[in-house]
Amino acid sequence: MLPVERVIGEEGLAATPDGLRLAMRLPWYRSLPFSTVSVAALAIDGQAVDLSGARVEYDGQSWPLAAQGEQVDTFWFVRDSAFLVLPDQEASPGAEREVALTINVSPPYIPGMTRTNPQTATLRVA
Amino acid sequence: MATATGPQMGVTLYSFTNEWLTRQFELPTLLAEVARRGLGPNIEIIGFQNFKEFPDVSDDFAAKFKDMVAEVGLNPVSCAINSDRFLKPGQQPIDDAALVEYHKRQLRSAKKMGFSLVRYQFALPVHLLPEIAPYAEELGIRMGVEVHAPMWAGHPAVQAYAEMYDKLNTPVLGWIPDFGGTASRIPESMLDAARRTGAAESLLDKLKDVWLEGGMSHEKAGRLREWGLAHGHAPLHIQAACLAFFILSNEDPKSWAQLVDRTIHIHGKFYGVSEDLVEEAIDYATILPLFRDGGFTGTIVSEWEGHAYDTRDAFVQVERHQAMCRKILAA
Repeated sequence: MLPVERVIGEEGLAATPDGLRLAMRLPWYRSLPFSTVSVAALAIDGQAVDLSGARVEYDGQSWPLAAQGEQVDTFWFVRDSAFLVLPDQEASPGAEREVALTINVSPPYIPGMTRTNPQTATLRVA
Repeated sequence: MATATGPQMGVTLYSFTNEWLTRQFELPTLLAEVARRGLGPNIEIIGFQNFKEFPDVSDDFAAKFKDMVAEVGLNPVSCAINSDRFLKPGQQPIDDAALVEYHKRQLRSAKKMGFSLVRYQFALPVHLLPEIAPYAEELGIRMGVEVHAPMWAGHPAVQAYAEMYDKLNTPVLGWIPDFGGTASRIPESMLDAARRTGAAESLLDKLKDVWLEGGMSHEKAGRLREWGLAHGHAPLHIQAACLAFFILSNEDPKSWAQLVDRTIHIHGKFYGVSEDLVEEAIDYATILPLFRDGGFTGTIVSEWEGHAYDTRDAFVQVERHQAMCRKILAA
């Protein structure tokens, strides 16, 4: 990653009626179609999170994470956070969680290249 | 100062990638800062970096953008567009018709916002140029393909484009040299960044040797990786060292002379200009006179790429780069 890049978004982790909501940033210098970006792994407090029921929320739209590969014409603006909603996860506001998130990027103009971007942070649940 | 008869100096907002990604500026405040520091008036913007609506910019945003630049006295010269063919990783690229339409969408957006040219990429297969060039003519916007490392004037892909340019014989198509293809050495600041991650001198010495060898970027990276692993270097250190293969190559700086005639815009790539106005890796004193004396009157945009490994103040770097270029051009 570039020195300033990050995959855990500034908005952090929040408890919502739909489950935990984690902010994600795109670790690249320009916007990319969501189909070229994947959530490769997520662990909370050292436990791998099952992502089969997860959803992605971005700019008023929402889709199952499992269908992200089909989002070829929805662009993730490089300054914006997208949000990963985890229906099976809960936590109380104020609690601390260690979040380890890995996002893979396959730039659509560089065939065969995939860059792995891991980041770990301790977040206070909002 | 630049004059109307020689190259103009300007800046690409890509130089401020760190400031942009960390949300230190919104687009209007970034443009205002560029203007306040006198780094324009000519600017380049990567469509997919600074415009949320790209590739399909609305009339409303285009009007707002025109007001934004007019208010601070900037001139939007170049909009960088992309050839995104591999929308589903590991699967087939999109078909030719879809790729042509993808370029047309970006050309329309750039024109609508007032840019006079676009930067496009060699990822566009050369056989599609006859379908796209007439559309650019119709819109009244020029297209410059970026000759970026590992490409250079003598690269087969550049020669194939040159043949097509001859065949189509249209003023809307040209070159955008990026000086990273003719670096004389790996920037010391890039080596320092690798040292900060813990890379050993023996690995960096090997990097300098392999960088000078022939072969594609990924082949050279593979060679260094193999050597590094066999000699006990950590994968993270090898990865930091390999950055050099992908953004810089060491072709002859004088080779740009072959492309001067069709050059419509220039990426003044640089990594670090010292207080006494010397760039670390690229020999500007050899390169710039080729374009000045060859009659180039377009814009050289300062393109600081040190942000790929460094968090120095990009504005200071751009100011020094422009001062260096003006000094060389005036000599």
